[in-house]
Amino acid sequence: MTLKDILPGEKCRIKNIYVNNLRKRIIDMGLTTNTEITVKKMAPLGDPMEILVRGYLLTLRKAEARMIEVEKIGGSS
Amino acid sequence: MLKIALVGNPNSGKTTLFNGLTGSNQFVGNWPGVTVEKKSGKLKYQDFEAEIIDLPGIYSLSTISLEEEIAVRFVIENKMDLIINIVDASSLERNLYLTYQLLDSKIPMIVALNCMDIVQKKLQQIDIKKLEDELQIPVIPITASKKTGINDLIKLIAAYDYAGQKHEHRYEDQIEKTIEVFENLIGDRFLAIRFFEDGLKILEPLKLPPEANAKMIEAYEQESKRYQIDFDMVIPNSRYDAIIAVCEIVLTKNGTDVISVTEKIDKILTHKWIGLPLFGLIMFMVFFLAFGPIGTWITDWFVFGIEWLFSRVDTLIANLGMMPWVSSLITNGVFGGLAAVIGFLPQLAILFLFMAILEDSGYMSRAAFIMDRLLRKFGLSGKAFIPMLIGFGCSVPAMAATRTLDKDEDRKITTMIIPFISCGAKAPIYGVFAGALFFRASYVAVFSMYVLGIIVAILSAVMFKKTILKSASANYIMELPEYRMPTVKNTMLHTWERVKGFLLKAGTILLGAFIIIWFLSYFGFVDGTFRMLMEDEIEHSILGAVGKFLLPVFRPIGFPDWQATVAMLTGLVAKESVVGTLGILYGVAGNVVENGSLLYEPIRLAFTSAQAYAFMAFALLSTPCIAAIAAMKKEFNSWKWLIFSLLYEFVVAYLVALIIFQVGSLDQGVILSIIFGIIAIMIVVFSIRKFVIKRGAICDSCVNCSIKDNCHLPKKDEFLAIIDQKKEDDQDDRE
Repeated sequence: MTLKDILPGEKCRIKNIYVNNLRKRIIDMGLTTNTEITVKKMAPLGDPMEILVRGYLLTLRKAEARMIEVEKIGGSS
Repeated sequence: MLKIALVGNPNSGKTTLFNGLTGSNQFVGNWPGVTVEKKSGKLKYQDFEAEIIDLPGIYSLSTISLEEEIAVRFVIENKMDLIINIVDASSLERNLYLTYQLLDSKIPMIVALNCMDIVQKKLQQIDIKKLEDELQIPVIPITASKKTGINDLIKLIAAYDYAGQKHEHRYEDQIEKTIEVFENLIGDRFLAIRFFEDGLKILEPLKLPPEANAKMIEAYEQESKRYQIDFDMVIPNSRYDAIIAVCEIVLTKNGTDVISVTEKIDKILTHKWIGLPLFGLIMFMVFFLAFGPIGTWITDWFVFGIEWLFSRVDTLIANLGMMPWVSSLITNGVFGGLAAVIGFLPQLAILFLFMAILEDSGYMSRAAFIMDRLLRKFGLSGKAFIPMLIGFGCSVPAMAATRTLDKDEDRKITTMIIPFISCGAKAPIYGVFAGALFFRASYVAVFSMYVLGIIVAILSAVMFKKTILKSASANYIMELPEYRMPTVKNTMLHTWERVKGFLLKAGTILLGAFIIIWFLSYFGFVDGTFRMLMEDEIEHSILGAVGKFLLPVFRPIGFPDWQATVAMLTGLVAKESVVGTLGILYGVAGNVVENGSLLYEPIRLAFTSAQAYAFMAFALLSTPCIAAIAAMKKEFNSWKWLIFSLLYEFVVAYLVALIIFQVGSLDQGVILSIIFGIIAIMIVVFSIRKFVIKRGAICDSCVNCSIKDNCHLPKKDEFLAIIDQKKEDDQDDRE
């Protein structure tokens, strides 16, 4: 399962990052292994997506999100 | 003097703190990355004096954009006496990441913990004493926007023990071993850690001999086998683990998370359905206020005032009895040129004001978020939207705003297409021509110009991306900052800063250009003698001669007479002077800039509607004004690129005008010629798009990268190739 598959309102935890493009930036922005992410919403045109990570709001494209392997946690809130 | 640098995340309040420390009028924005160049000011406190340097905001020392590079190079190369690391307490985790990176440099550091008020609103508490113990550096709580805590910070800076022992952050044993291996090869712990994180990229500026480089690569590959997780993630993981541990100690949350105001606002502003229409409405409002009735009304009064002032100056100079060329230089060259530019100021100021409000409040980031999907189709990032939007007002600030883009190639593309966006100064040209020849359809004709500009800009972007600037990434990853109420003071400062920039340009580069153009238009040969000309003799001027000489070139695109050519040439000074020049050349009595309808009659006599439309299109697309050219040069920092893009713009303008005029001439119908023009362009759009647009994102390095192949960075050959290429490029530029 990748970050792209997580629906708005759901939470997940990062298992692995396969992103090549922007890799270092994504890691430095706090998306490291075991980090908890809440998917907030999609942009009005369906992409990019907005996530809550480490207490702040980050937006990234689905192209990058589908290269981030995650596992879903908890039910939808 | 002591050098003190302010380093921190974008949007952490660095610039506000800078203002507080130096009392300087630095502008502050809420668009990540407002500080585009290094700015410095002086801190004075009793006997203590230091230079404070405000650097562009960075998230980490591993850079991807130019402005980040400016900041990081400064940290790594210039040995500073002290770093003030401003940390946004409301997102402590991410902000501390940079703090830990900076700790590795062993440069003396103080942490200024900002936004304590927001922390309290979020019902949290931070134990400053414990944080100091954990980081082993001084921590001062401040609220930069309300100026609390700044005095404590200044006192601490003045009393700081600059020579004292600096604490070193230790990593886990295994990581330390790897750092030691690298350190033995490079001879510096900080560089060794940077190499661990960033790979070969970090060695580039060191210019190591190839053997040493090869050794580093070998060591890198050796060491990377010792870790279970990706090698480049080892240090970030360790740092974030340390940060979480620290946060658990220092941060106490009282009760449950409150839904922040930001989230409530975003529920509406980035809403699935109403987000986009709201965005359109906000953009429309900004342009309506700046260029609609209100803006025009203010401009009219402003121009009235300026002209009254200048006419007084004119009378004064005429009475002084100076030599005629001196008084002409002053009244026509200097003041005439300045009036053309300054008359445009009110609308620009209004536009800048609203841009400042949108930036300071945090909406600009949302705009990029909303528009990214659309712009990506054209090979641009959502962040490119802001420069393009500003381009509707004026190209000069728009080009400066391209620095927030991540890659050099992206910036080049955006800078090159900005002149195609119809700036405010071009509007009078459309107004006069459309008013003269298109009657009821004049609004459609004017609107179609804006559309034409956007289409050409988009097509150019796609073309550049697919040909000469293939490595452009159009990346997008962006923080959405919390909404803030823009303060009157900050907004005004921000607006003033940009207006000042515009005025300074008008006063320096532009003044020189005006004097040259004045000389070209007021001197010439009459009956074999070279002399100064009267106002109505511009036909005999050097400019007139050039215009006549160039007329055959412009005939095919519909220029009816040399007057049109000369007017277009004076457009190099400022696009709004095209109309003024036409007024003089057609011998119109009265002020045509103020009252465009005076020009309707001569234009109707000289132009057919197809010619007028081609003229409008040419004015829109051709080489921009001198101010924009100067801004372009600054952004490219290369003559090669500047000349290329100017030529490109000229050729595109010529071709488009050619198509419009030739197609339009087939049938004299006014509406038909417009439709033909648009359809011709649409066909080109869709045919090109069919060929070039492919779905999916393009990765920098491994194009068809599969998710299963875990890629080990850095790729030896690729990195070496990139380094070689960069060296070549540098040499090219120097030549």
